[in-house]
Amino acid sequence: MLLRDGLTRLLRDNEIEVVAAVSDGEGLVREVIALRPDLAIVDIRLPPSFQDEGLRAALEARRRVPGMAVLVVSQYVEHTYAQELLADGRGGVGYLLKDRVMHVADFLEAVRRVAAGGTALDPDVVAQLFSRRRENGPLERLTPREQEVLSLMAEGRSNAGIAESLVLTVGAVEKHVQSILSKLELPQSPTDHRRVLAVLAYLQQAD
Amino acid sequence: MDVIVRTLVDPTTYRRLAYLLSALVLGPVWFAALITGWSVTAGLAVTPLVIPALIVVAFMTRGLAEIEVRIARALLDVDAHPPSAHPIRPGFWAWLRAQFSPSFWRAQAYLLVRWCVGFPVAIAVLVALSAAFGTLTWPAWVPFVHGGTNIGFWRPHTFLQSLAGVPIGLLLIPISLLITRPLASLFQTIASALLKPDPVPVATGSSDTLLRRDGPRRPPRYALQIQIAADSVLVFAAIAVWAVTSLGYFWPVWLVLPFGTALAIHAWIVMLAERPSIIAQFRGSRTLAVSAGVGAALAAFWTAIWAVTAQGYFWPVWPILGVAIVLAAELMVALVVSPRRAALTERIETLETTRAGAVDAQENALRRIERDLHDGAQARLVSLGMSLGMAEQKLSEDPQRAGELLAEARAGAEHALRELRDLARGIHPPVLSDRGLGAALASLASTSPLRVEVSVHVAPRPAPAVESAAYFVAAEALANATKHARARQMDIRITRVDDLLELEVRDNGRGGADPNGAGLQGLRRRVEALDGTLSVISPRGGPTTIRAQLPCG
Repeated sequence: MLLRDGLTRLLRDNEIEVVAAVSDGEGLVREVIALRPDLAIVDIRLPPSFQDEGLRAALEARRRVPGMAVLVVSQYVEHTYAQELLADGRGGVGYLLKDRVMHVADFLEAVRRVAAGGTALDPDVVAQLFSRRRENGPLERLTPREQEVLSLMAEGRSNAGIAESLVLTVGAVEKHVQSILSKLELPQSPTDHRRVLAVLAYLQQAD
Repeated sequence: MDVIVRTLVDPTTYRRLAYLLSALVLGPVWFAALITGWSVTAGLAVTPLVIPALIVVAFMTRGLAEIEVRIARALLDVDAHPPSAHPIRPGFWAWLRAQFSPSFWRAQAYLLVRWCVGFPVAIAVLVALSAAFGTLTWPAWVPFVHGGTNIGFWRPHTFLQSLAGVPIGLLLIPISLLITRPLASLFQTIASALLKPDPVPVATGSSDTLLRRDGPRRPPRYALQIQIAADSVLVFAAIAVWAVTSLGYFWPVWLVLPFGTALAIHAWIVMLAERPSIIAQFRGSRTLAVSAGVGAALAAFWTAIWAVTAQGYFWPVWPILGVAIVLAAELMVALVVSPRRAALTERIETLETTRAGAVDAQENALRRIERDLHDGAQARLVSLGMSLGMAEQKLSEDPQRAGELLAEARAGAEHALRELRDLARGIHPPVLSDRGLGAALASLASTSPLRVEVSVHVAPRPAPAVESAAYFVAAEALANATKHARARQMDIRITRVDDLLELEVRDNGRGGADPNGAGLQGLRRRVEALDGTLSVISPRGGPTTIRAQLPCG
C-alpha cells in the first residue's frame, strides 16, 4: 500500500501516466488484459499468502499478453526468480530490489528501459550469478575492467549507459564489449537486450 | 498506667489468655494422638495395612488442624487455614500423595508446637496467675492455715501480716496478664507461618518448565546426611558405653545391624532419585529397582544376624526365598507390562529435554533479534531522521549542505534496509517457503565465497519446520566452514527416504569444530525438537562432516 502510493506519486511526478493501481495478482492480470499498459510494476509478495503471488501474476500476465513488459520489485532478490522471469527469452523484464527506488534517476531509467523492451536486473542478482563462477573458468580470463563492463551488461544497460556509469567513452565500452563477447565465445547480437540475454544465459550455465 | 489499664479491660487480652491456657488440655491430647497414630503406622509399615493407617493419620491430623484453625481464628485473630490437598493427577495414589502435602506437615508441626512449647508456656502462665490470686487472697486463708504460708524469706501467718498479700497480689495480677500479650504474639507468628495453605499449582506444565530452568530437581540429600550423622553418634556412643562398662558381649552390634540396614535402604532410594540411569538397568521400573535394593539389604541383614548369632541352621534362607519370590513377580510384571511403559517414560524424558532445549533456543533467538534490531536498523533510522531534520533546517539558507544531508539520509535508509533484509533472511529466508530447500540452498550457495555443490532430492516437500531446520543446519555449517575451517569447498546433500530427511554437509576445511559450541548446540536443539538427530564429525585437520536426520512423515 505504502509502496504503491509512493510509486504512483513518483511516476506521476516524472510524467509517467499511471493507468491502474491494484492490490493483488488477479487484479493485475485483469487490468493488464483490459488496459494493455506499456509496463506493469509488481511486488513479488502480494495477498493473500504473501509468498510469490506477484511473480506468478507477472508471469501469467506475460503469458496472456505476449511482450507485456513487467518490472518486478522485491525486498529480496533471488537468482531463481530472475531465471523464471527471463525463461521465455523475451525482453521487457525487470527485477529490482525495492531499495533502488531511492535512486530516482536510475530507477526511472530502468522503468523506461524495461517499457521499451529492454532488461533491468538488480546488481545483487548479477553478483549472485557472478559468484557461481568456476575457478579457472572463462570468466577468470576477463580483466577486472571487463568484468565490471560484463556485470553492467548483465544488468541490462546499453553501451551508453555503461559508458556513463564507468566514466568511459562509448567507443572504449564498445571495445571492451567486443573483447568480452569473443573471450566468452558469445554471439554478436544486434540489439542490446538479445546481448543481455546471451550474457545471462552464459552466467547461469557458468557452473 | 493508661496502657496497663487499657490492656486489662481489653477483651482481647482474655482471648489470648484463653488461647495460651487451652494448650494445657489440647497439647497433651494432640501429642498422644499423633504418637499413637504414627506408632501404629510404623508398626504396620511392612504390611498392606499401612495404607489405611496413613489415611487415618492424614484425616486425624486434618481434623485436629481444623480445630486449631478455628481456635487460632477466634482467639488469636490469625488468618489460619487447614492443610490443603491438590492432587495433580486423578487416581487413588495421587490423592494419597496429595494428602501429605507441605501444608499437612506444617499442620503436624503446629500440633507438636502446641505440645512442646504451648504446654510449658501454659503451665508458666497458670503458675503466675495462681500465684497472683493466691497472694491477693492471703487474708482469706492464711490465718486459718496452720503455719501460714511461706514465700521463702518470709512466713506470714497472722491476719495482719496476710494483709500485705493484697497489694502484692494486686501488683502480680496485671503483670501476669500483661505477659500474655507478648507470649500470644509469639504463637500468632507460629500459627500464621504453619497454618497456611499450599500455593495452588497453576498448571503442571509451567511449573515443570520453571523447575527445568533451574536445572534438574535435586532430591533432598540432607535427610540421608542427618541419618548418617545420627546413626554414627548413637553407634559411637553405644560402643563407648560398651567399652567403659563390661567390654563383654559386643551388644552394640544390635544397634549397628538395624541402623546399617535402614541406612542402606535410604541411600539406595536417594541414589535412584539422583541417577535415573540406574533405573534403566531395572527395565525402567522404579518399583523393581527399589524392591531389589530393599531385598538385598534385608537379605544381608538376616544373613548378618545369622552370622553373629548361633550360625547353625541357615534359617535366613526362608525369608530370603520370600523376598526372591516377590522380586521375581515384580520382574515378570516389568517384563510383560513395562516395556511399553519404559518406552513411554523414556519418550517423556526425551520430550521434556528437547522441549526445554527448543524453548531455550527460541528465547536466545528472540533476544538476538531484539539486539540486532536495536543496534542496527533502529539506530540507523534515528540517525536518518536526524539527517532529514537537519536538511529541513538548512534547506533555505544552505541548499548545498541540505543536499549532502539528504544524500546521507538516503544512504542510511539503504543501509537500514540491507540490515533488515539480512536479519529477516536469518529468521526465515522467503525463498525457502516460496520455492523449497533446493532454491533456498542454491541462493545461499550463490552468496558464499566457497564453492558449494548442492544436491537436493526431497519430493514431496517436507513440513516447513523440517525444511527450515535442514536449511539452517546447512547455513550454519557453511558459515562455520567459511569462518573457522578455512574450507574452499562444500558439498550439501539432502535426500528424502520415505519419511526421513537425510542431510549431509561435508567441507574440505581443517576440522576441529567444537560440537558443544553455541552454534552447533543451537542446531542440535532445533533438530532434536523435531525428533531428529544431529552428528558432527570433525577431526583435527579435517574434514568436517555434519549429518542430520529429520523425520518428516
